[in-house]
Amino acid sequence: MKNNSVDERFGGRNDGVAGFIKSNKVTVAVYIVTILLYVVTLFVSPSFRNWHHLMLVLVLASFLIVVSYGQGIVILVRGLDLSVGSMITLSGVLVAAWVSQSNENILWAIPLVLLITTFIGMLNGIGATLLRIPPFVMTLSTGIIVFSVVLGFTEGSPHKGNAPRFLNGMMLDHTAGIPNIVYFLILFIFVAVIVQSYSAFGRKLYALGANPKAAHISGLRNNLLTISAFGISGFCCGLVGMMLVGYTDAPTLTMGDPYVMSSIAAVVVGGSSILGGKGNYLGTVGGVLLLTILSTLITAIGLAEGWRTIIQGAIIVMALIMSSVSERNTKIASAQKNISKSVPETQKV
Amino acid sequence: MRNSILERCFNALLTNGAFLALVMYLIIFIIYGISQGSYAVSVYGITVLFNNSIVIAIAAVAETFIILMGGFDLSVAGIVVLTNTLIAVQQGAGVGGALLCLIIAIGVGGVIGCINGFLVSRIGLQSIAATLGTSILCSGIALLVLAQPGGYVPDEIAYTLTDSIGPIPVAAIIALLIGLISWILLRKTNFGAGIYALGRDRTAAELSGIATRSVEFRAYVMAGIFSGLAGFMLSAQTGTGDPHLSNSFILLTFAAVAIGGVSFDGGHGSVIGSIIGAGILALLQKTLFSVGVSSFYTGIFQGSIMLLAMLVGSLSLIISKRRAVS
Repeated sequence: MKNNSVDERFGGRNDGVAGFIKSNKVTVAVYIVTILLYVVTLFVSPSFRNWHHLMLVLVLASFLIVVSYGQGIVILVRGLDLSVGSMITLSGVLVAAWVSQSNENILWAIPLVLLITTFIGMLNGIGATLLRIPPFVMTLSTGIIVFSVVLGFTEGSPHKGNAPRFLNGMMLDHTAGIPNIVYFLILFIFVAVIVQSYSAFGRKLYALGANPKAAHISGLRNNLLTISAFGISGFCCGLVGMMLVGYTDAPTLTMGDPYVMSSIAAVVVGGSSILGGKGNYLGTVGGVLLLTILSTLITAIGLAEGWRTIIQGAIIVMALIMSSVSERNTKIASAQKNISKSVPETQKV
Repeated sequence: MRNSILERCFNALLTNGAFLALVMYLIIFIIYGISQGSYAVSVYGITVLFNNSIVIAIAAVAETFIILMGGFDLSVAGIVVLTNTLIAVQQGAGVGGALLCLIIAIGVGGVIGCINGFLVSRIGLQSIAATLGTSILCSGIALLVLAQPGGYVPDEIAYTLTDSIGPIPVAAIIALLIGLISWILLRKTNFGAGIYALGRDRTAAELSGIATRSVEFRAYVMAGIFSGLAGFMLSAQTGTGDPHLSNSFILLTFAAVAIGGVSFDGGHGSVIGSIIGAGILALLQKTLFSVGVSSFYTGIFQGSIMLLAMLVGSLSLIISKRRAVS
């Protein structure tokens, strides 16, 4: 019984399909809604009924899927990363400027850019832990500072260099009828889930998010864990900046902006608690797919841009209300269980 | 034990965020004055300074109400942009039109504030997430109201509110009024005491008989109304409507609050600090420009000042804790 509840929290290791559904209700619900939405989209727009469109949805979702992993890990340890937008833009601008079309410099440029964004992420973590600045303010400041550096670097004109061929091929070419990025995405999600839900490191993150004081007492190095969580977010932003440049062929100064709010939205819609300590990455991926398919559905119906935004906002609020209600119910249920259990025990004493 | 005045000033500098912000403002203003000469102290120069900071200042006051309770309000930006588009499409002109705009601003802010308050205090949602949702909703409605930048703001608003009466800028009077109203609300009423108590220790506040839910609800409504007023002032500044508010707006609002010495853990700080914080952001921009730093790098200075203010804040917390121990 006790083991089961622990596994529930980590979102993994359950016996059988029934057990999995039982412990990941929110995740399953998100995927069901996503599939329903996709079916509706196919009904509304017959031209979408093909393999190609399904792949397009995955490519469009790929950016948010990767950013949301970092955002989700940071939220898991009770943080929030508002600097993702600037870090994505920085990565895109740097890759385009340093590599620019040829593949020559790619061997050092890509690792270097990833190193830089990871380092900025870790600076966020250092500020949030050692300097005791609230993550909200810390990441806000680094976001402003990094964007300012990007402005200075590009001198305000976004068109400095183009996408490296390698990144173009990664985002736009197909292998065996499937876009290359989808293979990368599968690999990324596989590794990400292992790290978050099945590794010792991931379990430490959950422990830290659920109760920092208890985690500290049981010997976890909280500061180091938090710093690495922010570092992962920086790393993911580095990846996404490159993916965006590969997809659109040239960086823009605003290309990272939409991902700040939407990554938080995806994590929340995917069933994670914004308070930390709860949620899993597969849920977040479901959240991203839900938001992306919803967006294509709205385009298919031909609604105005405003409606798209309104519906997205409404979905976030609804997801929040649903998860808070279900959380309250489980709390009440477990409290009742505890009461009924504790009565005979006290009689024994 | 009596401290010397110098020592007292030093203590206040470390423990009173608003005072530290004021000192920072004066230092930056001196640099600004040296590089600009007599323009810096001319009526026109000062009016421009106030006009540049008034919108962020009012938005920061709205945000302060929530941050003092230990929450976050991301819907400030959404309310501002919704108010702005509604004011731009309304057809009234003259003084009647101006009044209608004011009613729109307060009404929109109040309604969205009520929704936020309901979601957070009754349903129990986390404030960041709930206000993120309502903010996105607001910007969606704003896009429906006005798809492209445009529209028209009554001259009575656009000219009068950005002008000066004699040597005193109208924006300065508004800042003073807003500061006074929110100061009375926070310092002289039970409602304000409730906000501070909630921010310091929620359980203790509840146990001591404060109607925490009601205080929380009303704080969100007040924050909404002030956000609406910020949207009203933005309309006066730009004279037109724009459904796409710049992304930096909400960032600058939080920056103003942080620079003003308001603790993000809740319970410590003042609206006066936030208003000065907004002033610093605008002044900094002007100063950097006049000194000859490229406008690209403004963000580096804004971000650094914000971090500096937070560092001093956490340092003062450590010092006061040590003193309490000894």
